[in-house]
Amino acid sequence: MGRHEDVNVRNRDKTAVVGNNVLFDEEGFLVNPDAWDETMAENIARALELSELSEFHWQVIRFLRKYYVSMGKAPLNNELRKGAGLSLTQIERIFPGGIKFGARRIAGLPNPKSC
Amino acid sequence: MSSCPKTIYLDNAATTFPKPPEVIRSMLEGYECLGVSPGRGGYDLAVRAEEFVTGVRRQISEFFGGHDPNRVVFSYNATDALNTIICGLVEPGCHVVSSRLEHNSVLRPLHYLREQGLITLDLLPFDSNGFIDPQDVAKAIRLETGLVILTHASNVLGTIQPVQEIGRICYERKVPFAIDVSQSAGVVPIDMRTWHLDAIAFTGHKSLLGPTGIGGLVLRDGLDVRASRFGGTGVDSHSLAHTEEYPQHLEPGTINMLGVIGLSAGMRYIAELGLQNIYEHEMRLLRKLRDGLASFKRVRLYCADSMNNHLPLFMLNIDGISAADLGAILDGDFNIAVRTGLHCAPLVHQDLNTSPYGGVRFSLGPLNVPEDIDAVLDAFQVILESSL
Repeated sequence: MGRHEDVNVRNRDKTAVVGNNVLFDEEGFLVNPDAWDETMAENIARALELSELSEFHWQVIRFLRKYYVSMGKAPLNNELRKGAGLSLTQIERIFPGGIKFGARRIAGLPNPKSC
Repeated sequence: MSSCPKTIYLDNAATTFPKPPEVIRSMLEGYECLGVSPGRGGYDLAVRAEEFVTGVRRQISEFFGGHDPNRVVFSYNATDALNTIICGLVEPGCHVVSSRLEHNSVLRPLHYLREQGLITLDLLPFDSNGFIDPQDVAKAIRLETGLVILTHASNVLGTIQPVQEIGRICYERKVPFAIDVSQSAGVVPIDMRTWHLDAIAFTGHKSLLGPTGIGGLVLRDGLDVRASRFGGTGVDSHSLAHTEEYPQHLEPGTINMLGVIGLSAGMRYIAELGLQNIYEHEMRLLRKLRDGLASFKRVRLYCADSMNNHLPLFMLNIDGISAADLGAILDGDFNIAVRTGLHCAPLVHQDLNTSPYGGVRFSLGPLNVPEDIDAVLDAFQVILESSL
């Protein structure tokens, strides 16, 4: 494994430090989404017991990243479906933890703080 | 905006949407004619605007079985009204009785006052069906109890609380009793006089079918509520002391005239359709939804076994899918809008063991149709088959 080998993104963990001081919040979301790279995505995925990211996973992750970097926010639900080329039902199925706790965390998006 | 995509809207407990076209039309036409500052000037238009507002106070007072239209006080929303009544009734050292069913609009002001050392507080539990026991209220009241404040109906569970019985207890024990009717106003009848209510706090934008930004209090005659905000009222302007006259005593500053017009139109719409007819329509759809969803093995419904004393809303979860994701899937794949999370009522979720991620709430409104329910049930079929 690379420099993110001690990634820990289990639910409700306190802030976890990955390799060289990358911080996650208590729900396992990156505190600084700019610290994300594809190696980190692979390591977060492994921590979620997803041993290998398929092309479908990358399709979703890359869309989320691209959208976030250009728009400064996460896509709307409808935009995610169209942009990723998969239904949200499919995204839910292929990511352990689903859309929020799987796809969004692996893509390094910030924690959506809604209640 | 005219090409808004079609959404099956099932978040009417947050706010009713869309508003009846009659309400929108009345707001436009009313504000074009009367959009001046009511009660502040002597010119005819201002006088007419004030007369209109007085008429809406009468309309609201009659709707809730109030004592006096001058005891109808407008606010921005229910939270604003609840803050006014809580801060205006409690005294330092006072004991307050409330419940674990409350919305943060009640819990947070009470928590703040308790943290400041100003009050003591008892939050009563609810039973496994989602109801407060009136006898728990009776037991909680003590000599220094200065206020009992409860939700009329839970915004998470939809259960309508036995406020008539609690009102009788509070009346006999001479303790002011206030209720939050945010969810119930415009859904079920409310009668302040026969229910022995001292104050109700309402919002205009939910089942009263008005716009956001308007709500209010209806107070019993003679109930003295301390003002916590002061300013221009259009009366007693010579004095630097804030007026004691109601409703201006609790209504400093210019009121939301557009909101008042819309609220009045929403209430007229309800009167034309009939409160009971609207309720029966919504509950018929809710039962169909409940029965359909209950047939899916992985769906867990909360306090929805009986629809007696129930609003047209309930909450659920699907095993293995987070509430947030289920809401996102319903929205993104099926254009169905629901409310997920804690619904600003954290203690309900603590007690249901649905904290911290909450559940998915379905809440119906007068404009929902049977096809909306069919769409939800079809969506659940797809979601559940896909996530096996």
